[in-house]
Amino acid sequence: MKIANFTKTYGGRKVLDVPEFELKTGSIYAVIGANGSGKSTMAKILAGALPSDGGILPLEKGISVGYMPQKSYAFRMTTQKNILLRGGDEKKAEELMQRLGIQSLAKNRADRLSGGETARMALARLMMGKYDLVILDEPTAAMDMESTALSEELIKDYCKETGCTMLLVTHSMRQARRLGDEAIFLHGGKLWEQGPVEKVLFFPEREETAKFLDFYGV
Amino acid sequence: MQSALEKAIELILSGNRELINILSVTAKMSISSSLIALLIGVPIGIALGSASFRGRSSLVVINRTLMSMPPVVCGLLFYMLFSGVGPFRSMKLLFTVKIMIMAQVVLITPIVIGNMESYVAAVAAPVRETARGLGLGKGKTLLLLLNECVYQIFSVYLLAFARAIAEVGAVSMVGGAIAWKTNVMTTAIMQYTNRGDFSIGIALGIILMTSSLIVNIAISLLQRRVGR
Repeated sequence: MKIANFTKTYGGRKVLDVPEFELKTGSIYAVIGANGSGKSTMAKILAGALPSDGGILPLEKGISVGYMPQKSYAFRMTTQKNILLRGGDEKKAEELMQRLGIQSLAKNRADRLSGGETARMALARLMMGKYDLVILDEPTAAMDMESTALSEELIKDYCKETGCTMLLVTHSMRQARRLGDEAIFLHGGKLWEQGPVEKVLFFPEREETAKFLDFYGV
Repeated sequence: MQSALEKAIELILSGNRELINILSVTAKMSISSSLIALLIGVPIGIALGSASFRGRSSLVVINRTLMSMPPVVCGLLFYMLFSGVGPFRSMKLLFTVKIMIMAQVVLITPIVIGNMESYVAAVAAPVRETARGLGLGKGKTLLLLLNECVYQIFSVYLLAFARAIAEVGAVSMVGGAIAWKTNVMTTAIMQYTNRGDFSIGIALGIILMTSSLIVNIAISLLQRRVGR
């Protein structure tokens, strides 16, 4: 899957300058980097939720994209109805809720769930569909450890079953290792390093990557 | 004071004909004007809050200015347009309930637009982002946005109704507060007080405050439901 080069400028400041790069089909890419490095902006542009400079579309036509934003939104309806927004069978929705431990909240108003519950609902809602590229922006940031473990297991299985390519924005290097096949390190809006996750995390080529990883004790 | 209050309660309980006429004119005017303002204001408010186009912020500023238009200025404008020297004099609408409704629509619509615009501006972005992330089409996204606005529309309607029922400046200028014809609760309170007849004024005041209390309780309950 080819990603064309694109940039994003806010108020005269270029916050993102991504060169052309390729994603291996069926791989999970952990996108790492400090705050303000451009991870979420890149995710939004690839998801089509934010236009790049000049309105350049970085993805080839016909590629379907599923996207879970950093802050999950719950529509004013029950959890079950939220999950069934894309259609699909109720059995699958039930199975997803069960796997994420939110089956007891099926009939509750989704806009009254806690942050972690909302994130689990949003993950189940996204996984009712099938996409070529799935982008998850810090999907487990609001979750406790148990919910994180359940979600990670589901994410892995979903990728295996659907064969999708995934971009997983995360601040957890452990999560990057657990889920990622590859890692992308963004620094100051630039794609600084890309490669197999173990190599980027333990044998980074660039000093900036090593400095960043030092803070995480990697 | 005590005897006026006793007489006021007696007037309410006895179903005084003049009082009932004032109440029915008030209800006709405020329900009509608030509903028309809602029908015009809601689509404009949603469009203004969810769309991004050149000149959008200028329109928001203009609407905010109209929200604070003094009712007497609105009344004056309608008076000049429809009085004997105005361009619309042949319509003979001055001192009718129709022109009172029209003046109120002009006063209330910007309030409806402003309230809808600020609400939709806050929810449109996450709704659109989530819908796009799920691969939903434009039609379904719009339906989801409208679904998110349902309680807000009720709440805005109650606000519009409360504004209409309590308005006095514009309706007294264009309606003329004619007994049995265009006299509404607020203008009647002024009229009877000026005459020194406090009992009808107090009776109307009690009814006005009670309806205002009911509307405000309803708004507060709805806002609790809307609040995230």
